[in-house]
Amino acid sequence: MTSEGFKRHGSNSYIAEFAENEREILINLAEQIIELLAERIDHGHEDPLAAMVGITSHDSPPEDEVLHRLLPNAYQDQADSAEFRRYTESTLRNKKQAHAMAMRMYLKSAADGIIDLDHDGANAWLGAVNDIRLALGVRLNVQERTQDELELLAPDDPLRGVYIVYGWLGWLQEGLIEALMDES
Amino acid sequence: MVKTDTKIEEEIRAIFSGDTPWVTIVWDDPVNLMTYVTYVLMELFGFSKAKAHELMMKVHTEGKAVVSTGSREEMEHDVARLHEYGLWATLQRGDQAL
Repeated sequence: MTSEGFKRHGSNSYIAEFAENEREILINLAEQIIELLAERIDHGHEDPLAAMVGITSHDSPPEDEVLHRLLPNAYQDQADSAEFRRYTESTLRNKKQAHAMAMRMYLKSAADGIIDLDHDGANAWLGAVNDIRLALGVRLNVQERTQDELELLAPDDPLRGVYIVYGWLGWLQEGLIEALMDES
Repeated sequence: MVKTDTKIEEEIRAIFSGDTPWVTIVWDDPVNLMTYVTYVLMELFGFSKAKAHELMMKVHTEGKAVVSTGSREEMEHDVARLHEYGLWATLQRGDQAL
């Protein structure tokens, strides 16, 4: 990884330069989030009008652990949670997909590898990178594993590469937040 | 217009039952960066850096913190915005045990 991360330029510009391989990794990760969220979209919805106003037939949390973390329960009470999910989950999915699509758009249109975000773009980027980290965090089981255990993953362990990307995304996110907070 | 006693009683009861505030709680999460939680609280709630940092530290050390208080509808809106940015948040009645 060679990028130096995001630096603030002027009052509303946050710029980072990515090598081609870094850009490809980021595009790939953003697309995985977009696809994962798409899996949750209702198939064969019985009521097109309900779908149009954002009411879904989903009232139970996703079985997939990653999707569950991205689309969590809003109440500890199951019945309240189910009701809330029916009316809001599709909106949440759309917003998360929009963040990941914005991230992909910035990366794809940066032919020279230079990403230039304004404040809103930076927020979308942060939301997307955070969703990717949440997804990787579930795969790495960071809930159970300590940082030391993760650091000691064997070089041939397939999770080793995931952990390296996870750490790099955290570093990238941290740098962008510091640049954003610089102005306040 | 003169109201009957029962109507007034009903109204008073409605006012008081509707008065119980709801709260939005942010829970500790091993993935979300401390700086990110602070930044999201500043962006979504307009908190100062000091206030957002204090709430983030409470989440980090105590496992959870109340970040906003209001009507049920307002708290549902806050939870939805926190979920949009990946924070782990729930809402509940303010008089329920945390």
